[in-house]
Amino acid sequence: MEMIADKLSIVQSLWPFLIKGLWVTFQISMISILFGSLIGFTLGIGKTLGNVVLEKCINAYLHILRGSPYLVQLYIIYFVLPSLGIAWLSFDSYTAAIVSLSLYTSSYVTEIVASAIFAVPNGQSEAARSVGMSKTQTYRNVIIPQALKLTIPPMASVYVIVIKSTAVLSVIGIAELTRQGEVAIMRMPGDIMFIYLLIAFFYFLYCYPVLRFSKWAEGRFGQLGNDLH
Amino acid sequence: MNNPMIVIDKVCKTYHLKSRPEPVRALDNVTNHIDRGEVVVIIGPSGSGKSTLLRSINRLNEIDSGTITVDGVNVTAKKTNINALRAEVGMVFQHFNLFQHKTAMENIVMPQIIVAKRSRKEAEEIANDLLEKVGIPDRANNYPSMLSGGQQQRVAIARSLAMKPKVMLFDEATSALDPETVGGVLELMRGLAADGMTMAVVTHEMGFAREAAHRVIFMDEGAIIEENNPDDFFDNPQSDRAQDFLRQIL
Ligand SMILES: Nc1ncnc2c1ncn2[C@@H]1O[C@H](COP(=O)(O)OP(=O)(O)OP(=O)(O)O)[C@@H](O)[C@H]1O
Ligand SMILES: [Mg+2]
Repeated sequence: MEMIADKLSIVQSLWPFLIKGLWVTFQISMISILFGSLIGFTLGIGKTLGNVVLEKCINAYLHILRGSPYLVQLYIIYFVLPSLGIAWLSFDSYTAAIVSLSLYTSSYVTEIVASAIFAVPNGQSEAARSVGMSKTQTYRNVIIPQALKLTIPPMASVYVIVIKSTAVLSVIGIAELTRQGEVAIMRMPGDIMFIYLLIAFFYFLYCYPVLRFSKWAEGRFGQLGNDLH
Repeated sequence: MNNPMIVIDKVCKTYHLKSRPEPVRALDNVTNHIDRGEVVVIIGPSGSGKSTLLRSINRLNEIDSGTITVDGVNVTAKKTNINALRAEVGMVFQHFNLFQHKTAMENIVMPQIIVAKRSRKEAEEIANDLLEKVGIPDRANNYPSMLSGGQQQRVAIARSLAMKPKVMLFDEATSALDPETVGGVLELMRGLAADGMTMAVVTHEMGFAREAAHRVIFMDEGAIIEENNPDDFFDNPQSDRAQDFLRQIL
């Protein structure tokens, strides 16, 4: 009885900080997902246009982002870029977080969008071209609307990956959820286990609906044979 | 206005595939023409170049050399507006290729609005008339996945006709259909022919060829081997290859 009361009082005293942390996590992940998706959609479409040079450039971009850990990317953007002495590349920690996470998100989204576009049967664009639609009109009215549907399920799982990746941002001092928890642990080192469970629970609160949505969307819109994992 | 609708002059096309050691000569110096209002049926064994020829007419395939003109417009010339030309050349595919995310009605309406710049109201009126004409006015609001093959092909034909084409190209339009729905689609095509539409039809339906065609072209290995009016062609084929082919399929 005493133990439960004890834990409850921890929850009570930490609640405002964790909520604040969750809010920061939410903001940064949402903004990054938005920018990352915009970049990813653009590059994903670019990858399918049949321009070899463009495709090579996009692939190089993807290899760099997919081939290194997010933590290293974050360090480079936050610590290394400012040392170049170029003013607009000296980000404060929030900007560095959003820029790096957006790039990271875009690398996933690009692949998803490109494979969704490739998954639309060739006959669809042949039919569109044969009634006289231009390539642009065909993309806009036929290919992209059909590809978008296919992107919904994998996109939701990427968003969950991105949300969880925000935990890394604690290393550059952003007061997101994990960071708030670590501060709390410094105050109450005896409850380290309980506090980490509490943090995990908060992440779960945020990610679970997205995951459920992904599962639902998979049934609703079908699965894409992509190379995500 | 006696000039032909389609002129095909010394057209060659070779496919080079990495997976195959030998390049494939899909069109080997093909020369022919299709007159206004003429219905030409193209037959021949698999891989003889029928689809390649048909798809070259609206430049879904690029040719290597030679020229093709449709109503006097050079299909492959740089200055040709290929989208405007394609709008005047209807194409019907073996697998229908209806836009999967659009209803039957929208499949017919969308190209009219986007390409022909018609108002939605006008486009819908035309679409309704055409759905009536192809025999499925009650299916306007169905998505392709809810239509049978025969119904999908009727919508596809209506979608092409909505562009008011000068020519219709059919590439095995009935090959993917259940036997019991083939007849209806062929009848629709016969109706178009009777209305005076210029048509190039690749088909395995010899009954249709005999009845509806003004002329039959027999292709093999990328070349036109023989051409004749249907009665003479079917009753009295001249070349060995046409005789072999007819013996195998009839
Ligand atoms: N996109 C392509 N790439 C490589 N080779 C091709 C391509 N399209 C057709 N071919 C080859 O060109 C030749 C002619 O093909 P085409 O599709 O025109 O024949 P077809 O007469 O329509 O045959 P079918 O009756 O089987 O449809 C074949 O040998 C085929 O393998
Ligand atoms: Mg063919």
